[in-house]
This record gives sequence, C-alpha cells and structure tokens, in this order.
Amino acid sequence: MIDRIHEAVRARGESEGDGDARTDGGTATVADDDAGSFFGSVSRDFLGSLPFWLPPFALMGFFVYGAIGWNFALSLVNVQQFNQPNYSQLDFDQYLRAFGDPSFISAAQNTAVLLVAFTLACLVVGLLVAILVDRHVRFENTFRTIYLLPMSLSFVVTAQFWLWLYNFDNGLVNVVTQALGLGRYKWISNPELALGAVVFALIWQFSGYAMVVYLAGLRAIPDEHYEAARVDGASTLKMYWRVIVPQLKGATISASVVLMVFALKAFDFLYALAGGFFPPKGTDILSTMMVRQAFSAGNRSYAAAIGIMLFLLAIAIVAPYLTYQYRRGEL
Amino acid sequence: MAELVLDGVTKHFDDDGDRIVAVDDASIDIEDGEFLVLVGPSGCGKSTTLRMVAGLETVSGGELRLDGTDISDRAPADRDVAMVFQSYALYPHMTVRENMAFGLEESTDMADDVIDERVSETAEMMGIEELLERKPRELSGGQQQRVALGRAIVRDPEVFLMDEPLSNLDAKLRSTMRTELQRLQENLGVTTVYVTHDQTEAMTMGDRIAILNDGRLQQVATPLEAYHAPANEFVAGFLGEPSMNFFDASVEDGSLITDQFTYPLSEDTLDDLGGADDVRLGVRPEDIELVEKPVGDHDYAVTVDVVEPLGDENNVYLEFDLDTEGEGAGRTFTAAVDGTHPVAAGDELGARIPESAIHIFDVDSGVALHNRERDPDEQVIPQ
Repeated sequence: MIDRIHEAVRARGESEGDGDARTDGGTATVADDDAGSFFGSVSRDFLGSLPFWLPPFALMGFFVYGAIGWNFALSLVNVQQFNQPNYSQLDFDQYLRAFGDPSFISAAQNTAVLLVAFTLACLVVGLLVAILVDRHVRFENTFRTIYLLPMSLSFVVTAQFWLWLYNFDNGLVNVVTQALGLGRYKWISNPELALGAVVFALIWQFSGYAMVVYLAGLRAIPDEHYEAARVDGASTLKMYWRVIVPQLKGATISASVVLMVFALKAFDFLYALAGGFFPPKGTDILSTMMVRQAFSAGNRSYAAAIGIMLFLLAIAIVAPYLTYQYRRGEL
Repeated sequence: MAELVLDGVTKHFDDDGDRIVAVDDASIDIEDGEFLVLVGPSGCGKSTTLRMVAGLETVSGGELRLDGTDISDRAPADRDVAMVFQSYALYPHMTVRENMAFGLEESTDMADDVIDERVSETAEMMGIEELLERKPRELSGGQQQRVALGRAIVRDPEVFLMDEPLSNLDAKLRSTMRTELQRLQENLGVTTVYVTHDQTEAMTMGDRIAILNDGRLQQVATPLEAYHAPANEFVAGFLGEPSMNFFDASVEDGSLITDQFTYPLSEDTLDDLGGADDVRLGVRPEDIELVEKPVGDHDYAVTVDVVEPLGDENNVYLEFDLDTEGEGAGRTFTAAVDGTHPVAAGDELGARIPESAIHIFDVDSGVALHNRERDPDEQVIPQ
C-alpha cells in the first residue's frame, strides 16, 4: 500500500513539477521555456523522458485514480445489482444511509477498535521482541526468522490455522484454557470474544513486522548510547525507557502507519476466518461490510460509499506521515 | 578524589574457542589527581583497559582498586566514574540540559532544583550556558565536545575516563581543546585516564603516559622520560615524529658494524651493552647534525634524497654514499634540521650522529641496553 502511494506521489511529482525530479541539470531550461511560448517550450528533456514515465503514469492514473473516481461517481447514485447507473441525479444519499445504519456504525466501531488495539499491541510486542533479539542472544537470526515467518504466510492459510486453534471442541486454545481451569469458549461465534480473538491472531502475524522495523531502528543507535547511559548510572529499564525507546520515534511512526493501513483493509483474514457468518457478529469491519454489500446484497452504490469512506480514512492516516517525511526531506 | 590502581589487570575474549588476549597483566598506579594518558597503536588494548575501568567490560584477571576498594565486579553505576566518548554519545532526543542532568538524575537522589543548579553552574564554567536548551544536532562538533565534557564534569566523579575525546575535531580546534582540557583537569584535580593514539596529545597532556602494545604495558613514565629514556625499541619508535631511525648492527672490536657504516663506541657505551653481539642502533632525526664534509669518527658521507620543508624545520631524507652496491644501498634515514638550514635534494653532505644521542636496543627482546645522555633541563616539544 505504502509502496503504491510512494509510486503515485512519484508519478505525480514527475508530471506536475517536472523540474524537481530532474538531476541532470535540465531544471533551469524547463522553467525558462515554460515562461515562453508553449510549443517552443517542450524541451528535449521532457520528450526524451516521456517513454520512461508516461506508461506507468498512464496505467496508474487509469487503474488506480480512474477507478477511485469511478467508484466515487457510483457512490453518488443509487444502483442495485449490475443495472446501468443513472448519473443524471447525483446526491449523498448513500452516505446519509450509512450513518443511519446500525450495522455500519457497528462495523465502523469494530474497525476503530481493530485499528487502535491491533496497532498498539503489535508495536508493544514488536518492540519487546526486538529489544530481546537485539541483546546479542544466541541464534539471533533464527529467532528473527521465526518471528517474521507468519508475515510470509497467506492470510487465508493463517486464518485456517486460527480457525482450528479456536475450534470449540478440540482447538488448542480451548484445550489450554480448559487445562488451566478457565473452561471453553466460542472464540469466533461469540460476538463479545470474536474481535479480541481476531486481534490476537493478527498480532501473532504482524508483530514480527513491527519487530523488524524496530530492530533496524535499534541497530541504528550507536553502542555508545547504551554505554553512556550505563556509566551515567541508569538501570537497564531506565536506559531503554529514557535513552533508547525515545530514539525509536521514526520507527514507531512508520511501523504504525503500515499497521494502521493494514488494519483498515484487513479484509481477507476476517473473511477467511469469520466469512461463514452472515453477517459476521462482532467481527464485521468496514471492508468486509463493503464486500458483502457489493457482491451479496447487491447494493453497489452503498458499497461504493463505504469504500470511499475507507479510502478517506486511509488518506487521513497516510497523509500526515507523508507530510512529516516530506518536511524532514526524506521523500 | 581518589587513587586508581590497576593491579595485573587482564582481559581476554573468546573467539570460537580461541582465546584472544586484549590486555595482558597491566599494572599501573594512578595517583590522586593525576592525568594519565594511555597511548598506543590501534588494537593495542588501550580502549579495552579504559572500558574495564568504566565497567563496560568485565575484568578477566587482576584487580581494579579505587581508593583501596576493589571495584572489579561493580556495575558501572556503582563506580563513581564519568566517561567521555570519542563520538560524544550525546542523547539526540534530549536537550543539552537534559543530557547533562541525566547522570545526576540516575545516579543520585538529588532534588530536581539542585540538579538544575549544578547543571547551570557547570554549563557556565564550560561556556555553554547559551546552548542548554538546544538539541545535540543543532551544535557544532566543538560545542558537542564541550557538552560531552560538561556532562562528565557535572557529575563530580572520582575518576574521569576519556576515550579519544578530541579525535573528531579538526586540527585547530583540537589543539585549543587540548589546552583547555588540561587546564580544566588541573583546576578540578580529578584523577583522569585519557586514551589516545595521538602522540602529541600523549606527550603534551599527561602527567605520565602509559604506552601499550599488543595488550602489554611497555612503559609508564613521564612524557620526557619515555621520549629520552625509552624502555624498549617499541616505545622509542612510537614516540616522536618523524620517528627514530633504526639500524641493525653487530658489535665487533668496540664498534657497531651496520650494512652502511661503522660506528665506533666509547668504553662507557660498550659497558652498557653487556657483551651483546647483535643490537639495533637508534637515533632520533633531530639529533642528527648535517655538516659540510664528514670529518669525525661519527660523520658519514650522505646524499640528500628528498627534503620536506615544514617551515620551522626540514625533514631531510638522506642516503649513504656507498662505494659498492651492497645490501645497505638505497637505504634512507631521516634528519630533522632547522627550517632555515639551506639544503636541497642532491646535495652531498656529511651526517653526524653524536654518540651522546644514540640508543642501543637488544635485537631479540627490543629492550633498551643504552639510552642517550640527558640534560635534565632539556625541553622537547615534539611535532
């Protein structure tokens, strides 16, 4: 996702301010020519670079931004099934409908909970594991691979794993809770537990990613900072809390943006895990609701409106990050 | 204030079963208020020694005593030492004030306002009070250096440990800071162990210098003593720039025979050799005199190969005029002469090696058998 945004920004940067991306000294020429007549102005640099940026620019523009625009247009009309939309009357009825729909409110709430709980828990678990791995333990690389491995598995596969683990009769989770005298639980079908179970499974899959990001951040901190803190009399806990963790601000920001954007579009895992329930109780988030409305209920316009709102949420998360990166000159 | 004693301190690392000795049986008594410089080439174990004193490395053998108390097994926090790192190791997310206060906050129970006052006082003394609210990245290298020093000073420790603190500064600033650091240490009177590979710092800053090589302590002495009366060939060659000239020689009939020349020795010098047959003759470049024509026993006909003018003095590379194309042909040695001395490449001159200035070392052990005569008032300012 982030990559796609980077690409998009890059593509746009190239088309609009074609001086910025140039490093071959062509900038001044382009600026001067633009001020003069247009036809004489299309510089050789511009024409020469055309074959390189135009195809991806056109493809991105059509398939990504064109599709988003089309989706937006669709959300302004009311079209059921695969009927021909009538664009003569445009309104925001679908959005108003969403705010009056209890299942939309509950899906939005679930999305928010998933967004916050999942991101925070992943960051905390990832940070702790990264610190442990960074303390020059034996088999460090092996541990790192083990923690990161869940990331490489398909969500459909891991969802199936967790379905078995959460199985009421003989799932490992219930076997353990029963052995501990806590009894059995309907982890997936009980609406009160389902979201927690999903968040737990997702943490298992994603904390490895947070760990890798944090580990890179930790590796960038010079050993002298640890040593200076020790000579300064700080305990291990204080050393991490006051000297090391504050220096991981950049890693925290970039990891949380990726995790939050993932949480917004965590469709496949939830669909594979709880897709059997119509509608899923307790685990319905905006993306699963959108797919259900579009392809099961046939409310294409309603689904499009939900999609646009999800898109705006993603922008709201990514935009501040990109601005921050841009200000720091890292973009 | 404290006296720091290294008693047979040893450090070895295990590298896949191989034992690598980093510091081997180093014993140094550092007096209260003394400025001791640990000097040696890269990898000689000087930093490891310092880190053992700081508690950042465990001590494999021997004992570290601070005022008579064994501190070898204490955590760094319980040693009452402050360290200045080569990279300064300022915490980038904290302001200068927070950086300086951190050690006091973590190692003492002082109230916040007391800490604040002490930080301000120290900052004033260091001339960095305007920088207190800035972050380290907003400071120049020299300012960061000052903050790093201030951070150590504010803690008022028993011992300062400094690991090449000036090596990241440019040459001009380095010499200013050198003087300033010396003055500070004198005023504060805190026992200081200073690690450097720069022999100028070693010679000019320390009350005493300890020269290390391959993890072994070579000599602990005042700078001038180490310069004029080196304990062995390593010390002689390490101190001084350009470094001492060495010639392999055998002792025959009261003379040193080298591939290039024969050097007659006096009875006194011969006595010092104690019957050794194979020795190494050493003479410092500044002790070689250039004369118009070789006349005396210790004068040799030479040709000037290259002249390096440094302004105040010239480094002159000389080649012996040999009759035959023997083994020693083409061998150059260095003389440092006054900058106003007219000398050019190709000049044919005489080089005088005064017997009062020669050092003789044992070839196998490197131990000094004979050192130069010393005028006790003599001052040497090395490059």
